[in-house]
Amino acid sequence: MAVDTTKNPVPFEMAQIPGPEMAKAYNTAVIGAILKKAKRPLLVVGAELFEDPVMFDKAIEIGKTGVPIAATAHSIKGFVDRGYTENVHMIGLHPLTNYLRFKDWQGLDGKGQYDVVIFMGIFYKFASAMFSALKNFNRDIKRVSIDRYYHVNADMTFGNLAFNPDQYHEAVDEVIAKLKA
Amino acid sequence: MDKMEGSFAVEDMQNVQINIGAIVKEVEEWDQPMGPFPYPSIATLRDWDFKIMNRYKVFYSPICDRCTLCTYGPCDLTGDKRGACGIDQAAQQGRIVLIAVLMGCTAHAAHGRHLYHWCLDKFGDLPFKMGDEILVDAPLTRTIAGIKPKTLKDFGPVMSYVEEQVSQLLACTHTGQEGNFADFESKALHAGMLDSLGKEVSDLIQIVAYDMPRGDEDAPLVECGMGTLDKNKAILITYGHNLAGSAEAMFYTEDNNLWDKVDIGGVCCTAIDNTRICEGIGHPDKEFNDKYRMVGAKAKIAGAIGWWRKMVRGDCMDCIMVDEQCVWTDAIVDAEKYKVPLIATNEKIMLGLPDRTNDPVDEIVDDLVNFRMPGVVVLDPVKAGEVGVKTAIAVKPKRAEIREADPFLSEEDFKKYAESCTYCHSCQFVCPPHIKIGDVVRAAAEGNYEPLSTTYEICVGCRRCEQVCPQDIPILSLYAYANRDYIRNQKFKMRAGRGPVKDTEIRRVGAPLVLGTIPGVIAIIGCGNYPNGTKECYDIAREFVDRGFIVAATGCMAMDMSLYTDEEGKTIWEQFPGGFDGRNICNIGSCVSNAHLHGAGIKVATIFAGRNERANYDDIADYILSKVGACGVAWGAYSQKAASIATGFNRLGVPAVVQSHSVMYRRAFLGRTDKREDWEIIDARDGSKVYCEPAPEHMLYVAESVEECMLMMAKLCFRPSDNNSGRMIKLTHYCDISMKYFGCMPPDWHIYVRHASDLPLKWKEDMMKELESKYGWEIDWKRKAILSGPIRKSDVSFDPTNIERKIRVKK
Repeated sequence: MAVDTTKNPVPFEMAQIPGPEMAKAYNTAVIGAILKKAKRPLLVVGAELFEDPVMFDKAIEIGKTGVPIAATAHSIKGFVDRGYTENVHMIGLHPLTNYLRFKDWQGLDGKGQYDVVIFMGIFYKFASAMFSALKNFNRDIKRVSIDRYYHVNADMTFGNLAFNPDQYHEAVDEVIAKLKA
Repeated sequence: MDKMEGSFAVEDMQNVQINIGAIVKEVEEWDQPMGPFPYPSIATLRDWDFKIMNRYKVFYSPICDRCTLCTYGPCDLTGDKRGACGIDQAAQQGRIVLIAVLMGCTAHAAHGRHLYHWCLDKFGDLPFKMGDEILVDAPLTRTIAGIKPKTLKDFGPVMSYVEEQVSQLLACTHTGQEGNFADFESKALHAGMLDSLGKEVSDLIQIVAYDMPRGDEDAPLVECGMGTLDKNKAILITYGHNLAGSAEAMFYTEDNNLWDKVDIGGVCCTAIDNTRICEGIGHPDKEFNDKYRMVGAKAKIAGAIGWWRKMVRGDCMDCIMVDEQCVWTDAIVDAEKYKVPLIATNEKIMLGLPDRTNDPVDEIVDDLVNFRMPGVVVLDPVKAGEVGVKTAIAVKPKRAEIREADPFLSEEDFKKYAESCTYCHSCQFVCPPHIKIGDVVRAAAEGNYEPLSTTYEICVGCRRCEQVCPQDIPILSLYAYANRDYIRNQKFKMRAGRGPVKDTEIRRVGAPLVLGTIPGVIAIIGCGNYPNGTKECYDIAREFVDRGFIVAATGCMAMDMSLYTDEEGKTIWEQFPGGFDGRNICNIGSCVSNAHLHGAGIKVATIFAGRNERANYDDIADYILSKVGACGVAWGAYSQKAASIATGFNRLGVPAVVQSHSVMYRRAFLGRTDKREDWEIIDARDGSKVYCEPAPEHMLYVAESVEECMLMMAKLCFRPSDNNSGRMIKLTHYCDISMKYFGCMPPDWHIYVRHASDLPLKWKEDMMKELESKYGWEIDWKRKAILSGPIRKSDVSFDPTNIERKIRVKK
């Protein structure tokens, strides 16, 4: 049975209540379908992957489906260590989000702006603020979180799974399966 | 400031200035002509601000999508929406940024104003002298106000200027005033500059009045850490930023030979300033000098701001004196609970306590010692100091009795609380550094205290966890109990704040800094909201001092980096000398002392490059932006003061990196390397436009991890003026840090290469191959030369500027 990722849609840091427009928690099938449908998706991963290293393997699985990866903070090291750097780009989350908010940016590969960004493994408060920047200043990009937290400033997110790593891993696996299907 | 705007110097009449509508007077013995912008008002430097913002795009990440400031609200500003008043999201964010920067600016400036009045009252109008090695003695005052102070009173008009500007700026945030984000940001940059000026005035006044070190690289090593407080004595903690009351407590202790009965330990910047008192070149008042010489070394640094609640729970104090800034507003709640009398000594923090300023000392002490009231306000610093010392000594035995009957936390209590945890994770939901508190407490219940120890320095002491715990577990008390040995043994050495950078030091490092052979100045600045503990302060400092950068620290980060030692048991202050030089680390002083870091940049421009600083802010800032490799870091930035400090650095052309919680500041300045036109710089020799590499690439940057922070700091030290040797050194550090922490070269190393001699020797061959194969550059392999490819050619005579009036001969 699929993991219910719509449960517990409460901001991970309780006081992160931005305003009238807040994220909806979706199940893995819907999120997977959105990613699969995306024309120019970008997976953005951060340094929290080091705390749960199996997530690097899952990011690589996503990368192998053709989704390019922006490795923020020093997370590139996790990919280098695993010998996978094919479509992985080293860039800070702050400058990356700055580029993403401009419609004329041509992307990390020079082929054009992205239509869906997927955040995973990024320090909660930072990721939330970057989602907020896109929410307010470039609404053409769909904001998806497949992190273990409910991300209030995303368009689509899981509910909080922070205290159940097994369920979280399973949920990400379900998204990957949908992406591969 | 009409009079000041109307000032002009009369040609050929040195030292004479005429103020229209005011008196004619001799100004000072200063041979510099008045620059273009004395006492700049809000719009004066707007062109410079827009130059900064054209290159470094204003980036907002709203924390709140609404505006709730007027009765039309709440208004939803999400996306393209506007509020009832017409304001859009970007402008609203700019408005909030301006308010935050003004909060920080006024905190420093009001501190300076208090010291100004107090020091003039106590010491009279002292001559303003910084010693023989500091002739450029008030660089920000000179650069912004265009005056050269001779006595403390000369800072009065400077403070008045700051206060008037702050009033004008705050008015701009009212509904129906400014409506454009860029203009809000220009105003925030103005407030940041005023903040730097207020800090300089504050520190210079206290340096002169309290005879603090004036650029002493051998300032004494003082004791630092909770364990240095002698529990056999009464412990008086002085907490905040303004030393007036605290200094009086020290003088009272000295006058009455009470050091064997009381230990005075500081928390936050008061701690640093206590240890600077009377350690300078000698007070002009001989009696004062004889009496209090080196008294500062008798005070102790209890700890930085992040340790406050840990000290309270660790039972490290008998009496508290609070002054101003960064005092946790529930200090009185803790004080009452733990029977620690509190004396509020400054009007800014009165905590609802009765004002006893006019009561006899012994009556106040009697009330405090017998716990008739948890605290008092005593606004006379002399009386407050006496009350503090007497209360600490008298209350100590009473507190000991109480503790014996009712200890803070017994072994039994500890177990009971730990076992009551239901593992609901409410605590982890609110913990800023994401400590897995449930796991930590569960381990403690099973008798394993190690997680409580390993996460002790990561805990920022915010107490959010306790507030949400449905079982009312006093989590900070569990930490204190499990770490009681650590608290007892937290004994380290920190170098006392040395004060300004000396002119002689600037002469020594000016050329290597501008050419890049000293790879940069790393300015490490205050606060305790670290994303992953205090150890990262030490790691950052050590990384850069080892690499030959000039590392200069101020405030709480200086204290926190003192808590770690090398294999030989030496703190960083004992490992490296304290000069302003490569492979040195200097503690400049408290928060307000970081104005001397701005000052050091100004001095490079004026002493090394011969620029006139007088009322010439944009010219100096332009020089620093283009030629002085420097980068600030506030890894524990938490307050609005950190916002104003960073913004002040930015207006002066110095980039800063902050930690991931700093997204709460909402705004950054980030460059776009894909926009060629953003990186055009003027060659001052002939006015030609040169497309430059992005150096520095950003102006205010949030890093997600300390590794990213260090890489970015190295990168933000690149400047267009680097010579080949300097660029090679900087590129070596940039690439080496990347290899060390990221496992690969940074993806943009090639854009900083202008000539083969810019390439780091250790990777030169491989890099040239990659330039040819990956980036299509033309390489002459016989000569090992780059024929084509770089953004621009290396040119030793290139004189980069962003200001048209600096062009010498137009093409």
